[in-house]
Amino acid sequence: MSSQLDVALPETVIDLDRPWITLVWNDPINLMSYVTYVFMEYFKYDRAKAELLMMDVHEKGRAVVSNGTREEMERDVAAMHGYGLWATLKKDD
Amino acid sequence: MGGFSKTITGRVVLRVDVVEKGLLFSLAEQVCEFVSPDPHEHADPLAAIVGIDIHAEFPDDPAMARLFPDAYPDDPEAALDFRRFTQRSLQEAKLAHARTVLQTLSKSGEKITLGTGDIPSWLGFLNDARLAIGTRIDITEDNHQELAELPEDDPRHGMFHVYDWLTYLQESLVQLLLP
Repeated sequence: MSSQLDVALPETVIDLDRPWITLVWNDPINLMSYVTYVFMEYFKYDRAKAELLMMDVHEKGRAVVSNGTREEMERDVAAMHGYGLWATLKKDD
Repeated sequence: MGGFSKTITGRVVLRVDVVEKGLLFSLAEQVCEFVSPDPHEHADPLAAIVGIDIHAEFPDDPAMARLFPDAYPDDPEAALDFRRFTQRSLQEAKLAHARTVLQTLSKSGEKITLGTGDIPSWLGFLNDARLAIGTRIDITEDNHQELAELPEDDPRHGMFHVYDWLTYLQESLVQLLLP
């Protein structure tokens, strides 16, 4: 019998002390390879994690790519905009 | 026409003909113009030095809005604050990318060799140009074929083919950089 535990959990686990999240949204222009490259280059994620997040963006329309303080997330969002990715931040709820 | 490739010594090279080189030059000039902060916006030179633009507003132009999206989609006030503290620096970074591309092109012939330091700028420029053009021609996940088949007298015909070429160039460059 299938249970909720069989559902793959997202890679990013939200720490309660780090209540803000950066989201990257799908768009029809950014290349999948480029998005993967940006996640590896900026966040220093390994290729597997970067590709998983990229596929979440592509297939689910968005992915949480980082979490932390509001200031840290503003820095991440500005960096994503610098790379041309469509990123936003919000308080995690 | 080929994309970026790596030489035996590991250098990143793009071979172009004179028309392609002229096109890249012209695109880089257009990106410079497009992303340049308006010099008259600033009443406060100190704010300009630290990269703050107190007059920044949500851009009317969809391509500008795509390059500089709202960071807080549900909070217009926070979005505007974020824009005023970040947009000018982002514009200057994108401008620097396009200028680096112009410099590389100026000193190259039909074989363009990128120094390690030039690569982020080329990648950034290719992406900014694609974002600007792609937004202008209203590209979606599903309408590539439709755009490719537009009649030659449609203004989007030429733009789509330039977009398609830039996509090819960017993909070839990213593939060289991915480990």
